[in-house]
Amino acid sequence: MQGWMGRAVEVDLTSGKSRSFALDPEMLRLFVGGRGLGARLLWDLVGPDVDPLSPENVLIFCTGPLTATAFQTSSRFSVSCKSPLTGTILDANSGGFWGMRLKRAGIDALIIRGRAVTPSCVEIGPGGVAVSNASHLWGMTVPETTQALDAKGRSVLCIGPAGEKLSRIAAIMNDGQRALGRGGPGAVMGSKNLKAITVEGDAKVEIADRERLRFVRYEASKQLTANPFTSQALPQFGTAAIINIVNVVGALPTRNFQESRFEQAEEISGESITDRFLVKKSACWSCPIACTRVTRTKTREGEGPEYETVWAFGADCGIADLEAITEANYLCNDLGLDAISTGATIACAMELAERGIIDSDLRFGRADLLLDAVRDIGYRRGIGDELAEGSLRFARRHDAAEYSMTVKGLEMPAYDPRGMQGQGLLYATSNRGACHTRGNMLGPEIVGLPKLVPRLQVQGKAGIVALHQNAAAAIDSLVVCKFVNMAVADEFLARALTAVTGVTYSTAELLRAGERIWNLERLYNLREGFSRIDDTLPRRLLEEPVTDGPNKGWVSHLPEMLDEYYRWRAWDDDGVPPAGKLAELGLQEMETPPGRIAEKARR
Amino acid sequence: MIDEQIQRQFQEIGRDLYLADLVSSHGGNLSVRLGDRVVIKRRGAMLGRLKEGDLIETGLEKPDSGVVLASTELVVHRAIYLATPALAVVHAHPRTAIALSLSREEIVPIDNEGSYLLHKVPVVAAEFASGSAEMVERLPAALREYKIVMLRGHGCFSTGQTLEEAFQWVSCLEESCQIILAAKGINEPFIEYRKMSEEYKQW
Repeated sequence: MQGWMGRAVEVDLTSGKSRSFALDPEMLRLFVGGRGLGARLLWDLVGPDVDPLSPENVLIFCTGPLTATAFQTSSRFSVSCKSPLTGTILDANSGGFWGMRLKRAGIDALIIRGRAVTPSCVEIGPGGVAVSNASHLWGMTVPETTQALDAKGRSVLCIGPAGEKLSRIAAIMNDGQRALGRGGPGAVMGSKNLKAITVEGDAKVEIADRERLRFVRYEASKQLTANPFTSQALPQFGTAAIINIVNVVGALPTRNFQESRFEQAEEISGESITDRFLVKKSACWSCPIACTRVTRTKTREGEGPEYETVWAFGADCGIADLEAITEANYLCNDLGLDAISTGATIACAMELAERGIIDSDLRFGRADLLLDAVRDIGYRRGIGDELAEGSLRFARRHDAAEYSMTVKGLEMPAYDPRGMQGQGLLYATSNRGACHTRGNMLGPEIVGLPKLVPRLQVQGKAGIVALHQNAAAAIDSLVVCKFVNMAVADEFLARALTAVTGVTYSTAELLRAGERIWNLERLYNLREGFSRIDDTLPRRLLEEPVTDGPNKGWVSHLPEMLDEYYRWRAWDDDGVPPAGKLAELGLQEMETPPGRIAEKARR
Repeated sequence: MIDEQIQRQFQEIGRDLYLADLVSSHGGNLSVRLGDRVVIKRRGAMLGRLKEGDLIETGLEKPDSGVVLASTELVVHRAIYLATPALAVVHAHPRTAIALSLSREEIVPIDNEGSYLLHKVPVVAAEFASGSAEMVERLPAALREYKIVMLRGHGCFSTGQTLEEAFQWVSCLEESCQIILAAKGINEPFIEYRKMSEEYKQW
């Protein structure tokens, strides 16, 4: 095949056996790869009766047709499973080198099933696939594990203590400090007694039309160079370049979303990181942007922090101590924790403590307690044992669910939906729970990419959100980095995909593939019992107006946007894709029994 | 009820199209998609002077009485929304582009910005070039792959996430066409400054 390797490998940890099989070319054409292929395989493999932390859940690591092709940012890969945090379908993706090597090992999809008796490691190399004993690695941090397994030409993917201890906010880490972060995939890996997967591979990806790919790549490079977001802001300041910008427009959630502007934003900005801690910038394989920060505090060197992390441990916790924030980020990477959920869950605990709901010294601004809180979550010690369950389970335990700033159980990222109306709709309808990467509203609502749309406009936002969701699903399936799409339009990606695979994808067809994937994920969640009532935001954002700044008096106008959104997607009033829509998308075999939908609504 | 901000966007882009000579007094039209509805310019309304009541809302697939008042090209706009990811459509009559469309199957810009933004603009033809079934068949098909397409002898249909974005492609196309025309007028050998320039024709 061209573009795709055409092959999946399945490893059953219970038996220790593995097998390789060919993937259906039509499935690849329809679902592309990465997130889309993962969702399609997961639909068949993991039904509604499977507990996410049971051996019956699977981990599906997928590369995409553009992975390892040298198209800009084509290092990426994804993991799909049922989320132990949300109970929804989950995919998370990452850059680095591991995905490129998995593709070069000739694999489009690596499926991990079952549970090993003892801690294990899956090794993929020239000799095939082997499952080895990893008892000596159990308990090690991510850097320790990576170092122990590191070798020339090999990449390491692993979990840290948080995943071993089944924290529902545990990440899977690859190449040391890159994260498949959201939704707790690290806990699924831990539940399988799987500490690490190493991969070596040097097979070339066959390209259908190298000359055409070279031209598309060349044209894309012009776009990346000309766009100041990708050519200046991200390389100079990392993703935290937008801290000040988001704060100025009053959309930087502060103290667990009680406020929308952080008075000390400047101290935690990308500029401050660059001035105080930056050692050098770094990049994933095949990335010309280089947004990664290599930083050094007084005590150590590491990667990060990114915008979301700076926000989660900073503004959201009312903390302006950049050194503590940066070291909290290092700790998350060491322990294998999702930095967004970790920081947001601590912020939730701080609010509960300030309200007297829990007895704890954790208070907004207590930078001195931050690192211990993160460690306690990673090792499930003290209050950290409760926090390791994520903010919704933690808050529910204290009868205070309304202070958990989550959608479908996933902690919201760093944009206040009251000041970015489209972002609120994006969070509410995201299939894996509140997520800023399921569609890009930072572009149209703040940065003006491709064009600025009024942040507080309500009518017409549904289409923009849905379109960006479809685009994100397609991009996550290629798999390339979302930052490329800040400068390089979908039409370039469609042409790159055509050049690589030899299968003609128009821009509309690429986005239709994204729509197909989005609908399949929706069907998966409906099958799990999710429904319209789950497409919502925390009460605070719907009822408590912003008290000052440019969005003073605003709440999220989600209900109006949601109706328009369902109509745009041609779903019914309950958010269920009708048979006609499914047939149009080639999903006719996946109609969801209505009983499952009603079940959750009744609850 | 059409949101005030959306009305303003129609007025601003309509005025700009007229002032930039991209439409005549009553030519061209604009629309946006809202959920399963389309908001489009009223038939006969002047793009440069859009007033309250000049925007008509009707169904994307399901017709209603709004069609009585809507632009003649409503059928084409609807077909574009159903076949492509467009959220906004601008139809204009850029004069130089129309002139070039009379002798070409495609317009390939030679200037830097046109090459960078458009790469290539296909030309499609229809015997009846206003609100016809041929247009419904051919324009959306071309717009699945290209964000702006010329209808020979008539004008362009341009798509985007917003009216502003669709307007940009129209404005850029006309500028590129004026440059092509000016370069032909100068009639001196073209010195290629773009790497892999032959590839633009394959876009």
